[in-house]
Order: sequence, then C-alpha cells, then structure tokens
Amino acid sequence: MRPQHRWALVAGALALSLGLAACSGGTGAGTAGSGNGDPVKEIKVVIAEMSKDHTAAFWNAFAKTYQRRTGVKLKVQIISWNDVDQQTSTMVQNGNPPDILNLNAYASYAKDGLLYDSDEVLPDRTKADILDAFVKSGTYKNKLYGFPDLSSVRALFYNKKLFAKAGVAHPPRTWDEFVTTAKKITALGDGTVGYAQPLGPEEAQAEFSIWLFNNGGDWKSHGRWSINSPKNVQTLRFLKDLSVKHKVTQNNPGKTNRTDGAFPLFQHGKAGMVVGFGPLQAALDSDYPDVDYGIAPMPSSGGGPPQTYGVTDYLMAFKKAGNRDAVRKFYELYYSPDQINTWIKAEGFLPVTKSGLKVFASDPSLEVYLDTLPNVHLTPTDDPTWDKVKIAVQQNLGEAVASDGDPQKVLDRLQQMAESGG
Amino acid sequence: MVSAPDLVRVAAPGPPAETARHRAGTPRRRQRAMGRAALWWLSPALLLIGGVVIYPAIELIDASFGRYSITGLRLGPAGDANYTNVLAHPATPAVLTNTLVWVVAVVVPTILLSLALAQFLSLEFAGRRIVRWAVLVPWAASLVITSRLFTLLFDYYHGILNRLLLALHVVGRPVDWLGDDRFTMLSIVTVGVFVTVPFTTYVLLAGLNAIPEEVYEAARIDGAGWWQTYRHVTLPLLRPALLVAAVLNIIYVFNSFPVVYTLNDRNPGFSHDTSITFMYKLAFKSADHDVGMAAAAGVMNVALILVAVVIYLRLVDWRKDHS
Repeated sequence: MRPQHRWALVAGALALSLGLAACSGGTGAGTAGSGNGDPVKEIKVVIAEMSKDHTAAFWNAFAKTYQRRTGVKLKVQIISWNDVDQQTSTMVQNGNPPDILNLNAYASYAKDGLLYDSDEVLPDRTKADILDAFVKSGTYKNKLYGFPDLSSVRALFYNKKLFAKAGVAHPPRTWDEFVTTAKKITALGDGTVGYAQPLGPEEAQAEFSIWLFNNGGDWKSHGRWSINSPKNVQTLRFLKDLSVKHKVTQNNPGKTNRTDGAFPLFQHGKAGMVVGFGPLQAALDSDYPDVDYGIAPMPSSGGGPPQTYGVTDYLMAFKKAGNRDAVRKFYELYYSPDQINTWIKAEGFLPVTKSGLKVFASDPSLEVYLDTLPNVHLTPTDDPTWDKVKIAVQQNLGEAVASDGDPQKVLDRLQQMAESGG
Repeated sequence: MVSAPDLVRVAAPGPPAETARHRAGTPRRRQRAMGRAALWWLSPALLLIGGVVIYPAIELIDASFGRYSITGLRLGPAGDANYTNVLAHPATPAVLTNTLVWVVAVVVPTILLSLALAQFLSLEFAGRRIVRWAVLVPWAASLVITSRLFTLLFDYYHGILNRLLLALHVVGRPVDWLGDDRFTMLSIVTVGVFVTVPFTTYVLLAGLNAIPEEVYEAARIDGAGWWQTYRHVTLPLLRPALLVAAVLNIIYVFNSFPVVYTLNDRNPGFSHDTSITFMYKLAFKSADHDVGMAAAAGVMNVALILVAVVIYLRLVDWRKDHS
C-alpha cells in the first residue's frame, strides 16, 4: 500500500464510524406550544402496534371517520413496541412530537410539561366514565394526563391435560399448593416444566408484580418506595427458589423473555402453568387448538383473596400550537363506545371505562378478568421515577434469580436508585 | 450540473495525464484545471458526506454536551457530565473488555477462514459459480434476520443444534448457548464470523486474482514447493488486500449492532454488551435512558475505533509495501 493510502484508510474509518455513531444521536430542543394559535389542519397520532391484524385496520378506519366529522386530517403512524420508545424520544428531541401518542408511560412527559391535562382536552363525561383505578394511575400532581386507551389483566393459565395426567384436581390457591402442583407436573418428565417463568429483560417487572401483589407487597406504599420491603424480598426469594431449589421452572428463568420464551413453552404443551393475559388466550384459541387450558386467579401466599396485576396503555396529548380543538375532538370520538370498544375487542384487551365494563360483561370468557378489573393493582406509572425504575427492574431482576443471585441485594440496589430519583 | 461536452473533456485526459504527472510533472495551469474538474466529479460525494456524515456528527457532538430528560427533551447544557457519567458507569469496564474480545475473536478467525476459502474459490472446478454465490448469501441476508435465525438454532428447548448434539451423544443435556454465561460470547462470535467471512473472502479473492500468473511460473521454475510459494509469493503479494480486509473488518465488526443485540436480547444487564449495543441501551434500554450519555458514548466510540485503526496500521507497518 502506498503511503497516501493510509490517509484514505483513516478517512474511510472516520466516515464509517461517524456515520454509525451519528445514527444514535440527533438533537434539537423540544419546544412545547401553548395550544393557542391558528387551528391546525392535520394532527398526527403515533400508535404502538398491538397486533399485525387489527391495529392498522382500526386506526385507518378511525382516521377516516375522524376526518369526515371534523374536517381535520388525521395522520396515523403505527410503530412496533420494540421501536416506539426510541422513535418518540427522537421526535421529542427534534422538537417535533406527535399530537397524540400511545404508550405505556406518560408521567415523564407530564413532568416535562409537554402534555395537556384532562381539563384542557377531555370531555367531563368521558373523565367520569374512566374506571377509578385508571384515573388514579393516570394522574400526575393532581391532574389527569394519562388517558387510558385499553387495559389487560393477568391471570394464571394452566394446562388441563397436564394437570389431569399429574393427578392435580384444581389450580393452586396458595403458594405451597403452587409448588406441590408444579413439582407433580415437572415429574411427568419428557421436558415438561411445572411453571414457565419469564424474568428476562422484556417484562420482568410484570412477572414480579403479580407475585408480589399476591404476597401483600407493593412497589410503593404510603407514597414511598417499598421495593426492598421484607414482603418483596420474600417474594423474590420464592421466585428464585422455584428454579434453584424446587427446579420446577424452565431452564434459566432470569434470561427467559415472555413472548419468545415462556409463552411458546405453554403453547406447545410443555409448561403446566404460566401467567398470561387476553392476547395469549387469543393465540391459543386460534393457533394452538390442541392445548386444553384453563384460566384461574393467581394463588396468594397465604391463601387470601387473589390479587391481580393490570396494565393500561395511555393516549396522551402533546401541547402544540393550534391543536387543542382537534385533539379534543379526537378524544370525543375515541371514547365513543362504538370506537373504543371495537378496538379493545379486536385486540383481545379489556375496557377502561365503566360503560365498557357493561358492554364486555356479556362475554363469559372475560369473566375471570372483569370481576377483578375494578380492584386491579397497577405499577406506579403516575410517578416519573417509575419510568426509569421499570427499566432498572427489567435489567436487574434476572440476575437476582440466578443460582448465585442475591434477591435482597438486588432489591436494595433498586430501592436506593428509586429513592434517589432514578 | 456538468454538461456532456464537459464530461468528455474532463474524462478523456484522465489516466494519461496521471501517468504523465508521475513521469515528469505537469504545468501548474493544467493542474488547477484538473482540480476544478475533480471538484465537479467529487461534488455529489461531498454533498452526500456532508449530509449523512458531517452534519449528523456535528449534531452528535452537540447532543453529547446536552442534558436530556428521559422523554428526549433537552433541558440545558451538561458540560462534560455525559462523558464522565459514561466513564463512571459500573458496566463500562466489562463493556470495553467485551468489545476487545468481540473484535479480536471475530476478525482473526474470519481472516484465517477467508484466506482458505478464497484460495479454494480461486481454483477452477465444476460448480464454482454456484459455490461463489452460496458464499455471498450470508452477507446479502439482513443481519437481523440472520441473527434471529441463529437464536432459533441455538434455542435451549427447540434449537436444532442441541437436538443434534444430544442425538450424537456429544452432550448429556441441552446447552443454553445464549443464556449460559460461559457460552454466550462464543455463540455470538460464531455468528459474527459467519456473517463477516463472505465479504472478507471476496476482498481476498480479488487480491488473489490480481497476482499475475508469471510470478507463480517463476516460483515453479525456481523449484519452490507449495508452502514456499504460498509463504513467499502469495502472502506478500496479498498484503494490500489483507490490510484492507483487516482494517475494514475491524471497523465493521466493532460497529456491528444487530448480531450482538439480537443474540443477547434475553440477557439482563450489560454483561455481554459491546460498546455499540451499550451506547444504544444507554439511550433507550437502561435505567439511565439518557440520549446525552449515549451521544457521549457515540463520540467516544468513534475516537476508540480511530485510535484502534491507527495503532493497527502502525503495528503492521503500512509503509513497508511492495518493496
């Protein structure tokens, strides 16, 4: 190589690596509009994709109806759950957020002063219709910013065939029963596991939540973080014991995700139990007819009344010049019963409104969820700190349940992080 | 825009002028005209570089000095806090070690394998065209898709690799290729080599084809054996191609995101991340969730790879060439 080529190489290296690094950057100050100004002719809605089949279909139809009624164009952008965080963050960074955003968190946006509250854009009767649990979770500093769009509640799915084979009469009601049952099913052999436990980074906070609620624990109590409370430590030790001591779970639960790890085991009849929700039910019914499953409330540690863990997503509205009226009309239309309930039904989720609860009550397959919905436990999405704590939980819980993991230490660390504001 | 006559005028004197310059030098006026013409020719590339490299790079550096909210909102200047935060991050030492292991463990076997493969592909044999195409496939396929396929192959319960090893009684129980810390990096590196070999092979194949038949003839006449020919004729003449392959691979592997990220997505924490996936996680998938820190990590990544390349070029003594 001739000497001058050295610089060509170095320059090439610089260009290549800069190009790549730059993909992660981008700047621009986000400027929050006041909502005043000339009314806009178009608003943009960013929706996280719930399913390939239904999300786009519903929102495209919705956009047409909205445009016909209001004369304002509705631009719909559907983004997969994997990318939605990254893309919305980039939009805000560039000072170009959507008018309406569908996400599972809102408090950080409210804290940054980017959002409209319910007094500004939500009709009063709509606010009154939203279930109390979701009003609570959507309220930041006494104002409702997180308008729920749909919800889901988790429950214990069990494989009836495996239960019968193992001679188990009914789904477990206490944690002791749960361990006994899981042991019996694991003993069937042939790669069968008693319980498919997803504590990998995808959604470790959900798996931990439903168990800790059933041990009388919580993420926060009386307004203070209680991540490392004795009850929570006990819960995480129990979860660790399931794989390390009792050996009734699949291999390496701390590194198993829900969608590509735990659910497939249950769907192929290899797992006796798994914590599931509506979409799993839908997948089982349509794609895995061989799996004869039942749905039961979660077992509680001492046999007390079962507690459920619920998730709601939010449709939040960004303050931008001139969009307030259009945004308000968006919510009027979205919360009309034939719109919101159509989408929730299509995606296999649960209602967030009192009127919706009545509509869905006629569906017997939802009974196990609907009974518990009004008293559902949610994660503290109303605290902006949770948005960071959640990710820390996802990235750390798996380590706590490894054979050399230390639940107390991991929870102490998370508690410390939460107390210092993330 | 350059008009057609311009093109002809500019294009025609190209190569002869260059040889002339090398022999005896060229009048200055002519050189200036050449410079202007070159600028025309370079302008599309310069615009492209300006738009997709320089501008984002400026934005990146700017972002690295900004204080950002988790939402992406810029709250104000951060000074050098983003840089010190990245350096003080508890995962940083492990990430840097992983990066070094990853680059070395992929590039070295890749080059060795590609040398052998290029030698093989340069032979005349029936079906060579098909084999050459087949070698290209892993390179042409999307990295994310390739990586996702490998997660299926490596799967603990359903993966074909474990089925095979169990059937052959190589292992008594399945191996958790992607979850067991002892095997995770090895598995990721294997895929890294798999997707890097095609490009490297073709660079080396081009280098082999450029070696004139006469030197081999001379070697034969001098009575050189196969190994002597390879060691003293092929390898030295392949040096430029090897150098290019090595430098491009170091950069390419260092910057590789999809393979590491996809195969590692089930593992919590940062114990198998390289500096590139770490940068992404800092922005979106860690409790830091901080665009400013990620931008700082990005700037440091560029510096790191530049230093690595310069050190490499020093080590191989790029000046020592055709001599």
